Amino acid sequence: MRGKRGSQLSPERPLSDAVVRHSSRRGFLERLGGAVIGLAGATAVASAVLPDEADAYTNFCGHTYTTGNCPAPTGLPRIDRQGYPLRAHDGVPVDDLGRPINGQGQPIDAHGQVLKDADGVPLAPAPRTKTCETTGEDYGITLTLEGSWYRCCGGTVRRIRDCCGATNLRVNGDAALVGYCYPGHHVFCVTYFETAIPC
Amino acid sequence: MLSLLLAAAAVTALIAGIAGAWSPCGFSMVDTIGTALGDVRRTVMIVAAASFTIGALAGGAVTFGGLSLLGRLLGHGATELRDAVAGALALAAAFADWRGWKIAPQIRRQVPERWRWIMPLPLACVLYGLLLGLGFTTFVLSFAVWALAGISFAADSAVLGVVVGVAFGLGRALPVLWIAPRLGTERGDRCLDRLALEPRLWLGMRRLDAIGLAACAAVLGSSSALAAGTVFATDPSADSADYAWQQVGGPGMLQTATATLSLPGRLPAVGGANVAWLSGHQIVISHGFPSPSPRTIPGPPHATVDALAVSADWLVVRDQSASGIANLFAVSLRDPARRRYLAGAGIPGAIGRPSLERSTVVYAYSSSAGSAIYEVDLGSGARSVLRGTTADVLYANPTLRNGRLLYERSDRCAQQLLLGSPTRLGVDRVLLRLPSTVFRDSGYQNGYTHAYNGASVCPNRMSGAGSTTTLGATALGESVAYVSESPLDPARTRIVRVRLG
Repeated sequence: MRGKRGSQLSPERPLSDAVVRHSSRRGFLERLGGAVIGLAGATAVASAVLPDEADAYTNFCGHTYTTGNCPAPTGLPRIDRQGYPLRAHDGVPVDDLGRPINGQGQPIDAHGQVLKDADGVPLAPAPRTKTCETTGEDYGITLTLEGSWYRCCGGTVRRIRDCCGATNLRVNGDAALVGYCYPGHHVFCVTYFETAIPC
Repeated sequence: MLSLLLAAAAVTALIAGIAGAWSPCGFSMVDTIGTALGDVRRTVMIVAAASFTIGALAGGAVTFGGLSLLGRLLGHGATELRDAVAGALALAAAFADWRGWKIAPQIRRQVPERWRWIMPLPLACVLYGLLLGLGFTTFVLSFAVWALAGISFAADSAVLGVVVGVAFGLGRALPVLWIAPRLGTERGDRCLDRLALEPRLWLGMRRLDAIGLAACAAVLGSSSALAAGTVFATDPSADSADYAWQQVGGPGMLQTATATLSLPGRLPAVGGANVAWLSGHQIVISHGFPSPSPRTIPGPPHATVDALAVSADWLVVRDQSASGIANLFAVSLRDPARRRYLAGAGIPGAIGRPSLERSTVVYAYSSSAGSAIYEVDLGSGARSVLRGTTADVLYANPTLRNGRLLYERSDRCAQQLLLGSPTRLGVDRVLLRLPSTVFRDSGYQNGYTHAYNGASVCPNRMSGAGSTTTLGATALGESVAYVSESPLDPARTRIVRVRLG
């Protein structure tokens, strides 16, 4: 679905993906760079060393092709290393309602104070579930985070994580790609995790 | 409140409809249907009169029911303001009708005369009835018609709108039904003559309307005054006749059929003709208020009580210890030594505010692992989950009353106040819907294409900051739901009423 692995999957790629790939500057640079480095027979390395270009990504930095975001509490599908949702712009943990929470799952305000009602009683915590798995429950399929790809985004290495399952459809409603999913699985939607590694 | 308003508005509408008989169209209808009189054509006359009546009833229901529906579509917001405006409108119209002022604005139109000649009489009559029932397609004969339109719009109740409309339509039909069959007889002709020559009768009808409108204004005024008295309040609790709430930073309050009273304590709850409140560390249960000998039950020694619910036989208490451990338990009022432990939580706020009906308690329990509304039979201890989820949704603030469950459901996009059956799923009615409170991003990063992120957006709201209002404690009355709404500053929490319609 992304980089060279994506290019091995052309029979399954929807037309929209093909258009994106072949019409963007990234597509051009990738082909050009791939041809140059491919002379040395290292096309797999090529995509890893080619510079990323923001305008080749869809929805968020690091995500190529057209598979949609996994529905996430605050919009962008940023997750922590275990797959739980985070607020994209600052990485604050959020519950399934999108409320910032503390370690006990209680909703908190911008200063980290527990939110309370008019009686002074803390507001109720809400469920907090893994974004990928919950998307699967919402759509009636079993989904898990499988393969990944890493890219440099905003000075930090970002891990793009495919949310995969035994499905031929993706969240967009059209045909799903294999991407980095395990054999027999396709990408239903995508999430990402910010590492602490500078780049 | 709604039933009083319903009765007053319906009677007023009936009289306003009758007053319409003094319009050019009203007279024309008597003559149109009445000319069918005769032994040979009696059947045609009866059918025409029935058709006219059906049309008038339908027309009234469409106009006033439509106005009430429009009011509901605009949302529940500013209910008190709408009540106050409608009350003022009713009062002004009452004054004008009492003085017999010339109607303004007036609609100087009549029903099409040609229908009488080109259509079968029953068909023409049903259409005539429809136009007259609609109220605002021809001459308006009292200010009450305008005022009733305003009341229907403000009442936030489809039932009230339809009832007012049907009463108005019936009023428009009654004079025709009364006089038309007698037309051609001495009695019938004299009746029509009196109608035509006695404008004082019309004024009399308008004065009756004025009395009805004054009654409507009184109900609406007291309703908005009551609401004004609950500004910055929370924890509503409703019984058949009583309504209690907690003033933010003040005492508990009790509204009975006759008075609004300040309670000597906090966290009031009503149920089963009992009133309960917290006074210091004592829980007081009073059969009515004031009561010469209220009962007291000592509160938990090492915990703070922060919610109560009461019925005729049971008291339910939620408390929280200094270490944050919360408990929910029930105490039998017949035998206070008999207690039933309901729930415990290590996270404050996980156990929601309880609601009690007879011996059945409902409460919400939420954590990071799930959210559910539980129902427990305090007699048998049987427990069941009325609504439950392990992801995406928060259930909160349930209230049980007369086989109906009022509760809140929040997800990442919206907060909803729902009314439904405790046991039947999927048929709940949304009484109120607000956007979620959370800040949501656009689902894509700035500078990147965003054609494929449909699943990450909320259809009901834009990105950016969400609603500043959070739904809170609820109560359910006979015809109205109460829900507290907290802005960013919870000290400014208010209780709003949502009519069940």
